[in-house]
Amino acid sequence: MLSEILIIVIRGIAIGSIFATIAMSFNIVHGATNIFNFAQGNMFILGGFAAYFLANGAGFGTWSMMLIVTGLAIAALVSFQGYITLLPLRSSVEQDSWLISTVSVSVIVGAILMITQGPFAYSVQSIAPSFRIFGTRTPGAYGLAIFAMIFWYVALRLFLKHTYAGLAISALSQDFDAARAAGLPVRRLQLLAFAISGLMVGSVGFLVAPVISVSPDAGLKYVLNGFVAAVVGGIGSNIGTLIGGPLVGVVAMLTAYKVGGAYQDVASLLVLVSILVFRPQGIFGRVTARRV
Amino acid sequence: MLEVRNIVAGYGTIPVLRDVSLKANAGEILLIGGENGAGKSTLLGTIAGFNKPDQGEILLDGKPIGGMAPELVARSGLRLVLDGHRVFPELSVYDNLRLGAAAGGRQVFKRALEEIYDVFPVLKEKHRLYARDLSGGQQQMLALGQAFIAQPKVLLCDEPSMGLAQALLPPILSFLRRWAETGTAVIIVEQHLAVTSSYADQAMIIERGTVKFSCPASELEARLGAAASVG
Amino acid sequence: MTAASNTFPNAQQGETAKKARFNSDLTQVKIGLVLILLTGVGPVLAGNEYWIHTFQLVNIYIAASIFQNFLFIDAGQKSFGQGAILGLSAYGTAILFGLHGVPFVLAALGGIAAAALGGLLFALPALRVQGFHLGFVTMSAAIVFPQLLVTLDRWTNGINGISVRIPALVSPVAFGISPLALLVTIFPMLALIVHYLIRRSRLGRNMFVSSLSPEAARSLGIKPGLMRFSAFLIAAVGTGICGVLYLPVVAFVSPQGFNIELSFVFFFAVVVGGRGQMLGPIIGVGIIYVLPNVLLAQFVEYRLLMYGCITMVAVMLFPDGIVGSIERLRAKKNHGGTGERAFRIDGFLSQLAVAGVAKEPTEEIAVEVRNGTKRFGAVVAVDGVNLKVRKGEIHGLIGANGSGKTSLLNILTGLSRLNDGSFYINGVDTTDYPADRIANMRLGRTFQAPRIFSQMSLWDNLRLGLDARQGKGSDEIDALARAMESEFGHDRADLLSHGQRRLVEVMRTVLKESTIVLFDEPAAGLSKSERNNFADLVRFLSRQLGKTVILVEHDLDLVWGIADRITVLDQGRVVSSGAPEAVAKDAAVQHMFVGARHA
Repeated sequence: MLSEILIIVIRGIAIGSIFATIAMSFNIVHGATNIFNFAQGNMFILGGFAAYFLANGAGFGTWSMMLIVTGLAIAALVSFQGYITLLPLRSSVEQDSWLISTVSVSVIVGAILMITQGPFAYSVQSIAPSFRIFGTRTPGAYGLAIFAMIFWYVALRLFLKHTYAGLAISALSQDFDAARAAGLPVRRLQLLAFAISGLMVGSVGFLVAPVISVSPDAGLKYVLNGFVAAVVGGIGSNIGTLIGGPLVGVVAMLTAYKVGGAYQDVASLLVLVSILVFRPQGIFGRVTARRV
Repeated sequence: MLEVRNIVAGYGTIPVLRDVSLKANAGEILLIGGENGAGKSTLLGTIAGFNKPDQGEILLDGKPIGGMAPELVARSGLRLVLDGHRVFPELSVYDNLRLGAAAGGRQVFKRALEEIYDVFPVLKEKHRLYARDLSGGQQQMLALGQAFIAQPKVLLCDEPSMGLAQALLPPILSFLRRWAETGTAVIIVEQHLAVTSSYADQAMIIERGTVKFSCPASELEARLGAAASVG
Repeated sequence: MTAASNTFPNAQQGETAKKARFNSDLTQVKIGLVLILLTGVGPVLAGNEYWIHTFQLVNIYIAASIFQNFLFIDAGQKSFGQGAILGLSAYGTAILFGLHGVPFVLAALGGIAAAALGGLLFALPALRVQGFHLGFVTMSAAIVFPQLLVTLDRWTNGINGISVRIPALVSPVAFGISPLALLVTIFPMLALIVHYLIRRSRLGRNMFVSSLSPEAARSLGIKPGLMRFSAFLIAAVGTGICGVLYLPVVAFVSPQGFNIELSFVFFFAVVVGGRGQMLGPIIGVGIIYVLPNVLLAQFVEYRLLMYGCITMVAVMLFPDGIVGSIERLRAKKNHGGTGERAFRIDGFLSQLAVAGVAKEPTEEIAVEVRNGTKRFGAVVAVDGVNLKVRKGEIHGLIGANGSGKTSLLNILTGLSRLNDGSFYINGVDTTDYPADRIANMRLGRTFQAPRIFSQMSLWDNLRLGLDARQGKGSDEIDALARAMESEFGHDRADLLSHGQRRLVEVMRTVLKESTIVLFDEPAAGLSKSERNNFADLVRFLSRQLGKTVILVEHDLDLVWGIADRITVLDQGRVVSSGAPEAVAKDAAVQHMFVGARHA
């Protein structure tokens, strides 16, 4: 019984790591642009489809090459999306159009997947061997999910603190006007932020394809849970997502175990609403993070 | 170096500046004074590209920059230091300075950095600390240092004294003075005219969005006295 | 007493030529009613069963999109989950009627109640968060809803859905028209009319102001949270009725019928048709739903793709939507009038003055602060302030940037709370009163940046003050309001100069019949002559109308010219207070004149 719970917790943490990575990809774009990309979930699922079509059952060499190709391709796609999303914001007083354009891109990507692939879930073979925890076989991709979260956390931290472009993106999120006055190339940095977020979700979608449902309608589930993870951790706080993501994952898994698998998303929704009602700034969020 | 001709500007439909003109020459400090809300900050913001002028021209080295995006204005060699010693709080002092090079060449970065460290040794001392951990005066030095790294042709400085102890002002002003003498056109917006005017070459008073008068900085006190006794 | 409205001078100098309407809402409603009638009755007359069925569904979607439009624009609530609300009611009705044999009318009421409950659940997070947060929450709910329908199969029949037959509704009674056909034609028309009437009502204006400027709303005595709740409730009931009608039209409910796609149809229809335009949802449903599902029916599997692409293209090319773009052209074309440029209020005001009797400040206290302290983290913005303002006086509040003037003003209007100390309005302890309650004690304020709403006509902007009035107003103000309505009913507010905007806010406080008026830096951005006029206006408010005025201002000349008493703040503390002459001589105040005055 106890070990059963432990296994559920570990799986929850693994699934939650995916949510955490998606949440971090939200954060970098939101910091640089104040935009929340609703299409991020379908971009993530695109990574899963890439794993199915490009590397299902392939050897490690092909697999790792395709991982890079997928990451870069989705990075390019998301930065193109970012370009389109930012266009009307350039001069317009209407600063809400991103809400509509990212939702419609999400619908478009989902619809294309549905038309070309049908409403089926595709299963992808894992490259990483499964391992045993408390005598239960655990898919290797769960390990990859946790690894990916830690990898992206560290990579983002290094990038944002130690590279020129990363520092500049941090500067954008800290004081937008001062960054412009200092002559930072705002548009290019914002597109870079979009590209990085695409690289993150594309590569992670590819990595964890064996343990997720690779189907055209799964993207919304991940955009929702990624958002919940970001809100729980505090929007803008990457370290918060390391707690928020696994927390949401464990809640979902425990719900599935105790109540039923169909209630996972309901549980996430309840977590979201209670956080928004009782602590809208999240666990690690600061009330005044940004100067206007 | 910088010439502003008859600009009219404001926020949305709120007019703030009406028909303001000025000239800033290389190697000189122009001091702009006036009450709170007279439009001084709006003037600097408009020159630096944060506001689109409704009318009038802004020329940098003879080239029009009115209506250009602020980051492009900065890259053409005009740097605005915003009021309230705004630095990037969650970045280290060194990284704040490093980002200053965005608008200038990175090759001059090392030399300019050493100069800044010479003038404000405290920045060198604390170069690893987060900018939020500096005092207000140190943040102002950092903000100016970041601008200095860019080696702009024109520097606009919005209320360098804001929120600082009076004693901190002279070293900052004398730094600006020496900086101007290397051939930079400097504009300072201030309320504390008495302290600042002795460092400036030219002076201008803005009242309710229009230029009340301009004069050499040395005559400012006398002119103000005259204006007060009349008005 | 002059009460007859036609004696107001400005009312007479209005142009004889009829002004163009401020907006085309009414015209759009008329066109919309005709279009709905056509889609409702047209197919029946043509006698084609397929078209009848399809356009009945279209009309239901139009009605739901109308409520989406109301919720999204008039109330500013970004809900991506209205499809789930519709589903709640359709399923609620189907379960009660189809599975439990409850009479249809009762079952329908149950369904609508379920939808209303869903709407209130959406409103709950809306009390704390807005914008994209709310979008995510409602979208999540729309994702979760069909999952729940599948899971709760004990009650919902799960994936199999529920079939329902209601012969009484679908069999024709006269001219081949069934009661259902009548209902699905009338209800969307009703929805359109309801939307129009709400928009023109006090409730509609209050909702609109709450969404655009919650602090302005609160200062007018409106509770923004209550407005959000009401908006969600109205939209949910309306969308719930759509759900009830859906049932006999489709004769079947299943979880797949209410997935997120449905919510997106309503949302996209509003965006493509034109956000906030009366006709928008009708045109939008035509483009988003009818085009892919009816005219291009052979490509039905591409419809989601088409929804997305059409919306994307619309956002890029017509950010205002189809109807919105046309309306913009119309408004541009009609812009010959100069009525708004001539916006003056002195003519109106002079009628209010009680001839000859100048009022003087009394010794009664209107506003009092006792030892008030306000901290923001480590910063003490207001530090042990004591302040007394007498009834009828003009009280100037001056000090440098960051001296705590605006913090104090926000405390007095209830927008922020004291940490220590207390304050009283007309002797009532209002320390813990929320802003709307304080506003309803006949206290009015203006903002540094005037809260003028360009989406409303000039008169509607003024009318917000009248809306906020407590109890029965005086006859003079009613007459003034009538005169202003006829003068400014179709003028645009976005053409007003800054000085005129300031006057509109002042007039709001007059129409509100506020006895205490607070001005937050009113002279900023005014020209010299506008300042002089403003000073006259403040004097008029105090001496003729007997109002108490608190004035936060940088322009010392202005303050010294009109104030009866002046209080000087420095770093949150009162450093000097008293008559202007005395304060000017106070050593603690001298340094403020360094600069332009150089005293």
